[in-house]
Amino acid sequence: MPLLNPKPFESDTRADWCPGCGDFGVLAALKDALQKSGRQPHEVVVVSGIGCSSNLPGYIRTYGFHGLHGRPVPVAVGIKNANPKLLVIATAGDGDEYGIGFNHVVHAARRNDDIKLIVMNNEIYGLTTGQLSPTSKLGQKTKTSPDGSIIYPLKPLPTILGAGGTFIARTFSGDPKHMSWVIQEAIKHRGFALVDAISPCVTWHNIYDEVKKLFYRLEDRGYKPDDENEAYKAMNAQDGIPIGIFYRREDKQSFQERLAEINGGRWAADNVKSLGSEIAQSLVQEML
Amino acid sequence: MSEKDSDAEITLRLGAAAGDGIQSAGEMIMKVLSRSGMHVTTYNGNQSLIRGGHVWFHVHASTKKIYSLGYGIDFLIPLTQLSYDQHFEKLNQGGAVIYDPVAVKIHDLDPKVMQISVPLADIALKYDKRPIMKNTVALGSLCAAIGVDINVLSKAIQDQFGRKEPAVAENNIKAAMDGYEMVKKQTRPLKNIQYNYSVRRPAMTADYALALGAVAAGCRFYAAYPMSPASPIVHWMASHAKKLGITVFLGEDEISVMNATIGASYAGARAMCATSGGGFALMQEAIGEAAMTETPVVVVDVMRAGPSTGLPTKTSQGDLNMMLGISQDDFPRVILAPRNPEESFYTAPRAFNLAERYQVPVIILLDFAIGDGGYSTVDNLNFAFEIDRGKLLSTPPPAYTNGYWFKRFAITDDNISPRSIPGTPDMMFVAKTDEHDEWGHDLSDVLAGLKEYLPIRRRMHEKRMKKLEEIKKEMKLPEIYGPSGADISIITWGSSSNAVREALHELHKKGVSVNSFEFSDIYPMQEDEVRKILSTAGIMVDVEVNYSAQFAKLLKREAGVEINNFFLKYDGEPIYPEEVEKHILATRKEVHAIA
Ligand SMILES: Cc1ncc(C[n+]2csc(CCOP(=O)(O)OP(=O)(O)O)c2C)c(N)n1
Ligand code: SF4
Ligand SMILES: [Mg+2]
Repeated sequence: MPLLNPKPFESDTRADWCPGCGDFGVLAALKDALQKSGRQPHEVVVVSGIGCSSNLPGYIRTYGFHGLHGRPVPVAVGIKNANPKLLVIATAGDGDEYGIGFNHVVHAARRNDDIKLIVMNNEIYGLTTGQLSPTSKLGQKTKTSPDGSIIYPLKPLPTILGAGGTFIARTFSGDPKHMSWVIQEAIKHRGFALVDAISPCVTWHNIYDEVKKLFYRLEDRGYKPDDENEAYKAMNAQDGIPIGIFYRREDKQSFQERLAEINGGRWAADNVKSLGSEIAQSLVQEML
Repeated sequence: MSEKDSDAEITLRLGAAAGDGIQSAGEMIMKVLSRSGMHVTTYNGNQSLIRGGHVWFHVHASTKKIYSLGYGIDFLIPLTQLSYDQHFEKLNQGGAVIYDPVAVKIHDLDPKVMQISVPLADIALKYDKRPIMKNTVALGSLCAAIGVDINVLSKAIQDQFGRKEPAVAENNIKAAMDGYEMVKKQTRPLKNIQYNYSVRRPAMTADYALALGAVAAGCRFYAAYPMSPASPIVHWMASHAKKLGITVFLGEDEISVMNATIGASYAGARAMCATSGGGFALMQEAIGEAAMTETPVVVVDVMRAGPSTGLPTKTSQGDLNMMLGISQDDFPRVILAPRNPEESFYTAPRAFNLAERYQVPVIILLDFAIGDGGYSTVDNLNFAFEIDRGKLLSTPPPAYTNGYWFKRFAITDDNISPRSIPGTPDMMFVAKTDEHDEWGHDLSDVLAGLKEYLPIRRRMHEKRMKKLEEIKKEMKLPEIYGPSGADISIITWGSSSNAVREALHELHKKGVSVNSFEFSDIYPMQEDEVRKILSTAGIMVDVEVNYSAQFAKLLKREAGVEINNFFLKYDGEPIYPEEVEKHILATRKEVHAIA
C-alpha cells in the first residue's frame, strides 16, 4: 500500500508527560529513527512496562503493548519469537528495566534476542512521585531517601556487556540528533541492543544542566566500539558523561537465527494449523 | 489385604532405590501389557532425588477399559528390603512376591501369597560386571508369573536399548530370558489371562497427551521453566521441535515464561506454557495482564503437593483456590480439569478455541498422578478437530478505524471485540494493561475519575466480565455414572474421578446404591444447571485430593449446593479405589444407623 501519510508514525494521542520531560525527546527521536528505517507502522511493535516513560506506546503510531511493570522484555521476546519479521522495540524506565525487570534484560542480552531496548533513564521513579531508582546516585535525596541515598547505583552498561550484550549505547534527550542516530543503529543491529537514554525528570530529579555540562560524544574522540576491554574503560570514564555506542559486534547470531535452525523457519504466528494425519499417527506410534 | 482374583486384571508394583532404573523397567512392563491387548494405567512413586531413597512404579492392567490404579498388588517385585517393607501389606491373596533372597528377607507375609525366589543379582552378573540388569531379570521372571509371551518383552527391551550398542540389548534380553526360564520351572502362570497380541494400545501420560493435543490444535509456541511434574511437556515439545516446527522458549523464570507466551499470542501464535504451583504463583500478575489486554492464552498447572515447594513428586488437587483467585480484582478466566490422559488430549484444542473465541486466559489443571508417571492407554485418538480463531480479522470494518487506530476493544453485542495481529496494515492498536477505552486509549492517567469516563470504565469492566456468561454455555456438565436416584452420590473432579469410577464398580457388586458426578469443566459454572442436576443426588460425598474441599466450596459458592460428607486425601498419594469404597461403605452404615 502506498504511504499517503508523510508522517506515518505520528499519533493523534497527545503525550501527557510534564512539560520539559526528557521523554518527549526520546519519542521524537524514535519517530525520526523509525521513519528513516523504511519500516511501515504496522510492521513495528513498541512494547513498554509501567512508569511515565512506559506511556510511550500510543504516542507513536505502531502496534503497541503497554504491559506490566518490569516485563516489556519478555513480552517483546515472545512477539519476536512468534514472528521475527516484526521490528520489536521495548521502551521503559530505569526502575522498570534496571530494577524489577533487570533479570529479563540480562537474559535477553545473553541470548542476543533480536529486540531493541530503549531505557529512559532519569535516575528516579517518576510515576510513583519520586523514589530511589537503581541508578540513583549515592547521596541523592528523594522521598525514600530524605537523608540522601545510602545505596551505590547500578552500572547497567558494563553489567550487560558482561552478560554478553552485543550492542550497548548511551544517548541523551538533550542531543536529539545523536539519539535518533543511536536508535537507527540499534535497529540495524543483529540482535539485542541496549540504548540507555538519559531522559531527565524535570519534576523529581532535574539533571538537565548537569548532563549538558558533562556529556561528550565518543565518536567525537575517535572511539571505536569494537573492543570489549576498551568498552569497559569507556563506560567507567570519570571525565564526564560519555554518550555514543560503547560496544557493538555483528558476528554473533541472534537467538531467532539460531531458533530458525531448529524450527526450520516455521514461525508460530504463521503456523496455526493442525497436523497432517500421517504425522499425527507417527506421533501416536511413538507412544505405542 | 483385599481378596480379588479376577483373571481379567493384574496389578503389579516394582520397587527399588532411585537410580536402579525402576521407572524405565516399569515403562517396559507397561508396554509389554499394552502391546498384548491390555488396557493399562500406571503411577510413578517417585522421590525428588536422583540416586538412593525408595521409588516404585505401579501398573494396573485389564482386558476391560480401566481408569485407576486398581485394587492392591498382585505381583510385588522388591529389589530392596525397603521396597518389600513398604509394600508387602498391600499384596493380594493369590498373588506373588518375586525377590532375590540375597537382597530381601520375607517376613509377615500372608501365606496365600506365593514366594518366588530368583537370584536376580547373580543372573545379572553373568552379563555385566555390575548387577544393573537385575531389574531386567525381574521383568523376565514377572512375564513367566503372569503368563505373557516373553518375546513381547524382548521387543520392548530392543526398543528401549536399540540406540545403544547392540550388546546392551542382547545381554538384557538374555538376562530377561534367564529370569523367565527360572520362574517357569517353579510355577505355572498365576494368571490365566487371554492376551491379545494383535492389539497394541498407545500409552501416554496426561502431560504427553496434552502436548500432543496442543500441537495438533495449531500450537507452535511453547514456553516453560522446568518444574516437576510439568517438565515432561517441555521435554516432549523440545524433542519434537525440529520435526514439527515448534518454537520452544525456556525462559529465565516463570514471569518471563508467562509474559513471553502472552507476547507470542498477541503476535498471532497459538501459545501455551505450563508449570506447577510455585511457578504458577509467579505467573499470576501476567495472567491478569492477558485478561486485561484480552490476549488469548492457555496455561497449564500440573499440580503437586504444597504449599511452597511442598512435595515435588507427589500429587494434589490443591491449586484450585489459586486458579479461582488468580491476581488482583475481577477478570474472566476458564478452568478445565481433564480427568485422564485421553481427555487431556481433547482438552487442549478446546482450550485454544475457548481462549481465542473469548480472548481470555484458559487454565488447564492436571496433577502429578496423571501428569508425570501416570500413563494410561488411549484408544483411537481423533485428530480432526476444528481450529476456531474467533473474531480475528485481517481487514478492519470501516466503523472500526479512525485513520490512526483500530478500535480493538470495541463494545459489541456479545462483548467480544474483533482482534488484529501485528503485521496487519491499518489495524494498529495498543494492548493496555491500564484500563482503557474502546480504542485502547489510557483511562488511568489524565482521564481517570472524570465524570465522562466513569461509565466507560464501568462498560469496559463489564464487557470483560460478561464474557463469562457466554463461556458458561460451553461448559460441560458433570458426567454421571451409576443409577439415577441412588442413595449415595459421590461428587468429584479431575483425576480423582478415576478411582471413584472404579470403586463404583465394586460397590455396585456389593449392592450399594451409589452413583457419581464427575466434573471436568470447573469454571465458569452453569450454576442453575448444576444445581438442578445435583438436586437428583442422594447423600452427597465429596472426594478430592486437598485438605479444605476446595471444589465443594466452589460448588457452594457458585451453585449453592452444600455437601457435608467428605473423603479428602492430602498425604501426597493419589486416591485408590479401595479407599473410596471403604469410605462409602462406612457412610452407608452411618446412614442406615440414622434411618
Ligand atoms: C508490580 C508493580 N510494582 C510496583 C508498581 C508501581 N510502579 C509504577 S511505575 C513504578 C516505577 C517507575 O519508575 P521508572 O520505571 O523509572 O519509570 P519513570 O516513571 O521514571 O519513567 C513503580 C514502582 C507497579 N505498577 N507494579
Ligand atoms: S514526573 Fe518526571 S518522568 Fe514523569 S512525566 Fe514528569 S518529568 Fe517526566
Ligand atoms: Mg525512572
